[in-house]
Amino acid sequence: MRGIPVRKAGCLLLAALLLLSACTSGSPAEPVASTTTVPSTATAAPVGTASAGGPAGLFSATDIAWLQLTVAMNERLLPVLDLVPSRTTDPAWLRFAARLGTAHRADLSTARRLLAESGAPTTNPHEGHDMPGMVTDEELAALRSATGVAFQRRAGQHVRAHLDQAVRIATAEQRAGVHPMTTALASAVVRTGNADLAGLDRLDRP
Amino acid sequence: MDRAAPLSANHRRLRLATAIGALLVLLGTYVVSTTERANAGPVANAIRVAEFPADCTYSHRLPDDPIVFPGLPGASHMHSFFGSTVTNGNTTLPDLVGSQSTCNPRVDVSSYWVPTLYRDNVPVEPAIATFYYLGEGVRSDVVANTQPFPLGLRLVAGNAKATGPNDSIARWSCLHAGQVPPSKDFVTCPSGTMLESYLDFPQCWNGRDLDSPDHKSHLAYPVNQACPSTHPVHVPKLRQVLRYPVNGDPSRFRLASGPGYTMHGDFFNAWPVAEMARRVQDCIRPVIKCGADGRPI
Repeated sequence: MRGIPVRKAGCLLLAALLLLSACTSGSPAEPVASTTTVPSTATAAPVGTASAGGPAGLFSATDIAWLQLTVAMNERLLPVLDLVPSRTTDPAWLRFAARLGTAHRADLSTARRLLAESGAPTTNPHEGHDMPGMVTDEELAALRSATGVAFQRRAGQHVRAHLDQAVRIATAEQRAGVHPMTTALASAVVRTGNADLAGLDRLDRP
Repeated sequence: MDRAAPLSANHRRLRLATAIGALLVLLGTYVVSTTERANAGPVANAIRVAEFPADCTYSHRLPDDPIVFPGLPGASHMHSFFGSTVTNGNTTLPDLVGSQSTCNPRVDVSSYWVPTLYRDNVPVEPAIATFYYLGEGVRSDVVANTQPFPLGLRLVAGNAKATGPNDSIARWSCLHAGQVPPSKDFVTCPSGTMLESYLDFPQCWNGRDLDSPDHKSHLAYPVNQACPSTHPVHVPKLRQVLRYPVNGDPSRFRLASGPGYTMHGDFFNAWPVAEMARRVQDCIRPVIKCGADGRPI
């Protein structure tokens, strides 16, 4: 993950174990030549170790997982926010949704850019995956058929679930991540997420 | 991704010591086993099935996944954990190695986890969870060359994002009700029987990586009874078998990941190297059915 070449000790360990287990694989009378492919594969390990971890080797597995999840979560939230202008006329809600939409689009593009920089696969591993805080297709369909206060109540629940989860995992990324720009994005998500949750509380008041 | 070698600088010295220790253990095993063979000859009355199991009771539930979301506790849907009792979102290999296990044998401190099953939105945990290590689905000469799983291997099988039965390898059936045809989604099991889930992990390793970006592609399923050239190292086929104490109307069931066809399994290998090597040598390669102690049944 970090693009660190295999260390000699580990390489020796693996190669030696595989060789030894190959030696012990059968009765002494059996030829051992049939297992030679295994040690040769294992000792090839140091070649090309940087590929998955990104060229700079600065992104950890946590950074990449968090970026992927952030992309997926924001992609799920935006359709909810985009529904707001056509489902309610409440000015406070319209302002709130517009501000949230702008911020989440900006975070989404930053997260995508960092993911590309990390060298991680560009396909979204959480596409179609119903994870905590994500609006499901069914829920989105239900939202589409609601208007006014009923819509606001439902949309508010989804936005709250999203923000709660976004703050939770961004807090974890702040602690466990290593890539500076990625942890900085996480800090921003925590800060604005908490502010948005407070804003949502004010909206929710009857 | 991580290669098949220890990565943390803090653990290098420990790893080297472990390596030397493991070599000594293996050397000892070699000497003992060849001596035993010379004295006793082949095992009589062995059941000719290449198999050893780990029977692991349910340990705990967390919305964590240290393979898919390492360092991000709370990022996942709910998982039910088996084996090591300590696994959470921050777990790495050293955490497992020093841990307690719900498995028989206790030496298996690996971690296994699956999406939690709910009936009427109430979690249901398997009454029986067995992780079989098998030598099957490939030619006998491939079985005879099976290698142990490398320590620290992380692997996901099944498709948590399956949108229908066609992109799933899940298998649901009923224990003690073989007349109910297996399905990729939940089945209706008669009363008095248990809903069961089978999941086979891939058994051909690329010989290099302990993990991969999708947590799957460092292993592959066999092709034409052999391992493909991209994944030439044959390792045991891990078969996860879960028996849930529920039956009846499948519309009451859901997994934390969705419908039945989203069943998947995560495996984080922390078997002591010598224990796994002994079982591969004594049970899988010679095609002998072993018990949880890794001895012929």
